[in-house]
Amino acid sequence: MLKFLVFNLVLMGFVSNWSLIQVGLSMMCFMGLLMMNHDFCSFCLGYMMSVDYLSYILIVLSVWIVMLMVFSSTVVKKMGNFCVGFLSVNLILLMVLVLTFSSVNYLMFYISFESSLVPMLVLILGWGYQPERIQAGIYMLFYTLFASLPLLVSLLSLYKSEGSLNMGLLLSGVIGYQGTSLLWYFCSVLAFMVKLPLFMFHLWLPKAHVEAPVAGSMVLAGVLLKLGGYGLIRILGVFSEVNKMFCWVWVSLGILGGVIVSLMCLRQVDMKSLIAYSSVAHMGLVLSGLVVMGGWGLNGAVVVMVGHGLCSSGLFCLANMVYERLGSRSLMISKGLLNVMPNMGLWWFLLVAGNMAAPPTLNLMGEISLIISVVSWSKLIMFSVGMLSFFSACYTLYMYSLSQHGLFLNALFSCCSGKVVEYFVLLMHSVPLNIMIVKGSLILCDL
Amino acid sequence: MMWGAYSHLVSLVFLLFSALGFILFSLVSMSLSSSYVIEWELFSLNSSSVVVTLIYDWVSFLFLGVVLFISSTVMYYSGDYMSGDKSYSRFMYLVFGFVLSMGALIISPNLISILLGWDGLGLISYVLVIYYQNEKSANAGMLTVLSNRIGDVGILLSISLFFMLGGWNFIFYESYLSGNFLLLKILVCVAAMTKSAQIPFSAWLPAAMAAPIPVSALVHSSTLVTAGVYILIRFSGALSGSCVQSVLLIVSCLTMFMAGLGANFEFDLKKIIALSTLSQLGVMVSILSLGFADLAFFHLLTHALFKALLFMCAGMVIHSVKECQDICNMGSLVTCMPLTSVCMNLANLALCGMPFLAGFYSKDLILEVAFMSEVNIFSFFLYVLSTGLTVCYTFRLIYYSMSSLSNMSSVMIVSENHSKMLKGMMTLSVGAVTSGCVLAWVVFPEFYMICLSVPLKILALLVSSLGALLGYIVNMVGSSTSLKTVKFYSYTMFVSSMWFMPILSTFSAPRWSLSSAESFFKIGDKGWSEYFGGEGGFGEVMKGSIYLQLSQDNMIMVYMKGFFIWIIVVFFIFI
Repeated sequence: MLKFLVFNLVLMGFVSNWSLIQVGLSMMCFMGLLMMNHDFCSFCLGYMMSVDYLSYILIVLSVWIVMLMVFSSTVVKKMGNFCVGFLSVNLILLMVLVLTFSSVNYLMFYISFESSLVPMLVLILGWGYQPERIQAGIYMLFYTLFASLPLLVSLLSLYKSEGSLNMGLLLSGVIGYQGTSLLWYFCSVLAFMVKLPLFMFHLWLPKAHVEAPVAGSMVLAGVLLKLGGYGLIRILGVFSEVNKMFCWVWVSLGILGGVIVSLMCLRQVDMKSLIAYSSVAHMGLVLSGLVVMGGWGLNGAVVVMVGHGLCSSGLFCLANMVYERLGSRSLMISKGLLNVMPNMGLWWFLLVAGNMAAPPTLNLMGEISLIISVVSWSKLIMFSVGMLSFFSACYTLYMYSLSQHGLFLNALFSCCSGKVVEYFVLLMHSVPLNIMIVKGSLILCDL
Repeated sequence: MMWGAYSHLVSLVFLLFSALGFILFSLVSMSLSSSYVIEWELFSLNSSSVVVTLIYDWVSFLFLGVVLFISSTVMYYSGDYMSGDKSYSRFMYLVFGFVLSMGALIISPNLISILLGWDGLGLISYVLVIYYQNEKSANAGMLTVLSNRIGDVGILLSISLFFMLGGWNFIFYESYLSGNFLLLKILVCVAAMTKSAQIPFSAWLPAAMAAPIPVSALVHSSTLVTAGVYILIRFSGALSGSCVQSVLLIVSCLTMFMAGLGANFEFDLKKIIALSTLSQLGVMVSILSLGFADLAFFHLLTHALFKALLFMCAGMVIHSVKECQDICNMGSLVTCMPLTSVCMNLANLALCGMPFLAGFYSKDLILEVAFMSEVNIFSFFLYVLSTGLTVCYTFRLIYYSMSSLSNMSSVMIVSENHSKMLKGMMTLSVGAVTSGCVLAWVVFPEFYMICLSVPLKILALLVSSLGALLGYIVNMVGSSTSLKTVKFYSYTMFVSSMWFMPILSTFSAPRWSLSSAESFFKIGDKGWSEYFGGEGGFGEVMKGSIYLQLSQDNMIMVYMKGFFIWIIVVFFIFI
């Protein structure tokens, strides 16, 4: 893991040179992708860090998204808006994320998990656009902290009762059904449920996404939500006995919450808010697949996490491109864009098709696996899963048709039809999304 | 780019030669009774492999050949039809993408890889329907794609049920599906019903006529709507003997009847043709539900050819009368546009089942086989009535558009000097005339043994001629005729608006979901979730801290009261 961390630290020394950071991050992506087709259960061992299939996939995803973040924030460079600070915050966030995904000790994981909130908060407060970002930052911070402080207590009591917090040693249903197991279980998983986010605890997400700059939205949708999924995968192994009693709670909240949230998407007028709510719906399905504790559910969850990370991040880039030109995120104003930006229509359609799990995107592969795992748990849930799929198409095509087709705003005289860097960013989002299904075993995790 | 302007020529050459090649391969494959299956493993998990399977047997080669043939002529035709359009190249790319999706659907006998074609068809047809940027197209496109999406969800759920078999190659598991997989069969049938616009999902097909004519000719006559029938043909081994068949029979016969009835009251040229497509789809699905999948395939192929021809002629007509689609404003086109009228009449008569044209071989055979098998009297009457109604609306259309006195405005230039459109139509008319007999003699050489009594045998012919007379004469009304349709307006309204399905599909269900979405958002997310979450917590904490603030107000009263209470406490503890 030192190759990522040291590279990152050295890059932080050159933050005054924007293009060098761009190139450096691309090189880090290349380094990460070199080992993608590995066959090791656990490698890059050392210094309380190791990497297995799942961690490696997510580390590559983080580096990829952070690289694309820097490429899509050219407005920060153009306005000269504290470029050095921006790049430093991004690189610190990347380091924290790599540490989180590669940590072997639960406490180390917890500390990095919490630390990722600080650069995120700085990004929102520092480079967001509107006064409401203060409330957004407070919501994000407090929702996550309120749920994760009990996680700290539970990890410390785990240390007291087991003697070690090493992930490899504890993943065997160590906590049976004892007296305090219920409280212990809820304290542990609730942190990740809020991070995912689960339906009832999702209020921070639309706020944070809307107020964040494009870089913040991209990393939030792309990687930070996956921290919740990753944490769940690691912690559910410890509490598997208790989880079997309560998986119905999470499946119901996840799927039905996803249906409710998909319905709410139909009423959104703010593009970023719509994409944020759709993240909640996708992550609800991911959660349901995970808590069912099946092989298909685990792999489907990982695939949907990667696919959703790429797709939502790409959609946020597109929403930002519209915002930079028209000054508004509202679908009532930024509509009929096919007339002014015809080439973007293709990219809108590709990413929108990815969001609704159309083939050949990764989202389809993951969603099929998740539907298989959830339906194998109970056939009755087919109705809700069907509604979830159906409404995801509804709101996605609502956003596509309203933003692209029809008459454009009278006040819009002309706008740039698309810069090369924007096409690059969109290409880098949609090509992995569409191509990786051909060798799907790259994204599966063989835990 | 220069070559974008010639994409119609490119597609004509490429697709036509591919089509001829595929038909050749189909004959070879049929004579050798061989089929090739190629698999590419996407991933394998816990001993179930998700693969992309491609099958090359005579069915897929023949279907591919016919689809590519039709699409080559349609793309050449759209070189003239869409010639003035600004995003012409986008249109051609979309149509080509559509043809590729249809190809992906035809050659996939795997439930997961068929999704590539199935979802691709739905999405690309959506973009094609909303091609003209007006509200009618937007609404039609949304209705189309959401009706198709119900089918997609059906296929996704059937994938999850297919998991029980360990693989998704339904071509291999057909024989294992008899018995307990009723839910799976229901889901696949629902998917096919949405794609082929059976009742209750029929509202999208006439609405999708907001698309440009080449799109209707390709998509809504031969490819998209036949995808549902095709998947049922591939699944026919699994469906035999299950109770799904009876439901399919009733639904498809009702669709057949409803569409035929509705087309008699419709005045929009494209909608009449759409409803006739719907009626023929009902015929295909009904004969399939009786167990004769190869007859359904036969009718699918012949219908594709003459329906695409009919759409193309309608496009030529609409283009010439300056985009007015109302048949009340047409007439005597046979004098102004002779070649188009010839092609249109060929297509119309083929549709009616005129002896020895394309439709006769398939449709007559279907009717005779249906009369011979065990159908209930309800379906039997629906078959007979629909056959009559088909001829009725066909001759009505001929009367209004071609043979009546001219109802067009007094300054009208009607000509057919679009050579590409004409060439496309002529190519397809060869198919419309000969495809029936060629397919019957090549593909289905073993004839069905038809043993019917004389009345049943001539029933089809009798009902057709009756329908023709009725359709032609009843519509010869002048401006002072008192119409019975006005007198019984509520019945006319019921029949002509497709039994209210468009209203049900567009006003009732979306209204419920949008209003519940609003209440979930306003009362849920902005209301109670905030109360039990951020805002409520904030309010409670603020209220609590007010109490704390009171104690820090430095009021002598508070200190004295505290002192007093403390004295009493000490008094009671120590004394």
